[in-house]
Amino acid sequence: MSNQLSNVAAVVGIGHTDWRKDYAAHRAGEAGKLDSIGLASLAFTRALKDAGISRDEVDGLIVGPTTPYERMGEVLGIDARWGGQADAMLAVMQATMAIHAGLAEVVALVYGNNQRTGKTNYGGANAAGGASFLSYVYHAPWGFTSQGALYALMFQRYMEETGLTSTQLGEVAVAQRLAASLNPEAVMQKRITVEDYLASDFVCEPLHLFDYCLVNDGGVALIIMSAERARKLRPDPVMIHGVGRYDLNRGATSLEPRLTEYYLPAQQKVAAQVFDMAGVGPEDISSAQIYDSFSCHIPLALEGYGYCAPGEAGRFMQDGNIKLGGRLPVNTSGGHLSESYMQGWGHQIEAVRQIRGTCGERQVENCRFVHYSSDVAGKAVSIIYGR
Amino acid sequence: MGKSQPVMSIDDRIMWDGIEHGELKLQSCSHCRTLRYPPGPICAECLSMESNWVPVAGTGTILSWVTFHKRYFDDFPPPYNSVAVRLDEGPIIMSNLVGDEPEGSWIGKRVRLEFVDHDGRRQHAVRIDRAG
Ligand SMILES: [Zn+2]
Repeated sequence: MSNQLSNVAAVVGIGHTDWRKDYAAHRAGEAGKLDSIGLASLAFTRALKDAGISRDEVDGLIVGPTTPYERMGEVLGIDARWGGQADAMLAVMQATMAIHAGLAEVVALVYGNNQRTGKTNYGGANAAGGASFLSYVYHAPWGFTSQGALYALMFQRYMEETGLTSTQLGEVAVAQRLAASLNPEAVMQKRITVEDYLASDFVCEPLHLFDYCLVNDGGVALIIMSAERARKLRPDPVMIHGVGRYDLNRGATSLEPRLTEYYLPAQQKVAAQVFDMAGVGPEDISSAQIYDSFSCHIPLALEGYGYCAPGEAGRFMQDGNIKLGGRLPVNTSGGHLSESYMQGWGHQIEAVRQIRGTCGERQVENCRFVHYSSDVAGKAVSIIYGR
Repeated sequence: MGKSQPVMSIDDRIMWDGIEHGELKLQSCSHCRTLRYPPGPICAECLSMESNWVPVAGTGTILSWVTFHKRYFDDFPPPYNSVAVRLDEGPIIMSNLVGDEPEGSWIGKRVRLEFVDHDGRRQHAVRIDRAG
């Protein structure tokens, strides 16, 4: 398979907004001071500062799905040689591709989302994402709505088939909250136990409140440049060693690939591509950052990428493997469940921080490679970051 | 909040007309006979754009289920269930289980389709099939 995208691009700058402070202010009844474009702008200025470059060096711009591309470029004063709009994982892939193709040398990736103060609805009438994913709205006549319900339905069957218990699933929320308690920037820092998890309310049974991501405002930005230029810029660029993607579209609305295979074939195909490209295997990965709108993404990814055998994720998690200090610490910032719901963007910068070794008390020792994975609605994507 | 609404593409309309008359019909490819759900303009198997509509027997098996404890729609006060049913003809549909609920797991239970009035529209629901 192709390894042409390995080590051609590197992350040299990261930035994000003060989501913990903003969340507290919102809870105290204050109105948000920044909209989505403002949040993205603040994150961008911080990423630029972290990279130590000037705005005028940026010649590529990728904007997240929640802000308009042109306006984003306008407010940041960026005329781009190459640009586009993408979600977090595709943004990183596209930046890498553009740099490899010589279409840009320094790409800014910016994302801002005022989903809490802007009252975004992820279920019910006009559920967010319905224009892109028909399954998010198609089954509404039977009250079936929200992305959480889609995963609850999928996981109900998975649990019966594999014997994974709610107690074992609770390990995800507990481990990520433990990590968040060591992350001064995390929105939720109070540690929880499996008993707390089991006692929490159901939202869409079998999923509990603690299985769900937060909804908070924030922004994230990254600066990605050619590996060659990155090495001259700073001693610790974080290289992109591999990328991969596979989409299950057939039967998506009738939920066939969710309910019969739990997206496993897509993740296995991506695993083959991304590990081959990076020249590493699951045994070489120090930490995994897994897109977690819901906790159940984690066991599915553990199996899909070969960290454990299909059907074995419950036991793998119960044995402490995904906690800090375990074999494969997962979502070491607290992830979407406890740090901040930045739709995968926060996971990219946590991967960078872990590789840089700047995570303080939650630092994974000797962190060599970090594997990012997501499987939003059967669109499996992976990125491997390393030194 | 707001009420639940069916998606009504040009292809969905024919299906909902059938439901209004107490019959679930699925689109069948005129070339390879593959059934389509949701309805659509083209067969994903053979790419034929010719199709006809065939009634389903109305029997199937529960693949999975959930119970909603949060309110998302004005017309669905929680708690309520949604079930995924594999029709005997092949496609998976979402519906609501009415009548007696099984003890323990619902997965694998045989169900039969019926039609109910829901807040001014006719739609299908399923009931545990004692005979099945
Ligand atoms: Zn056909």
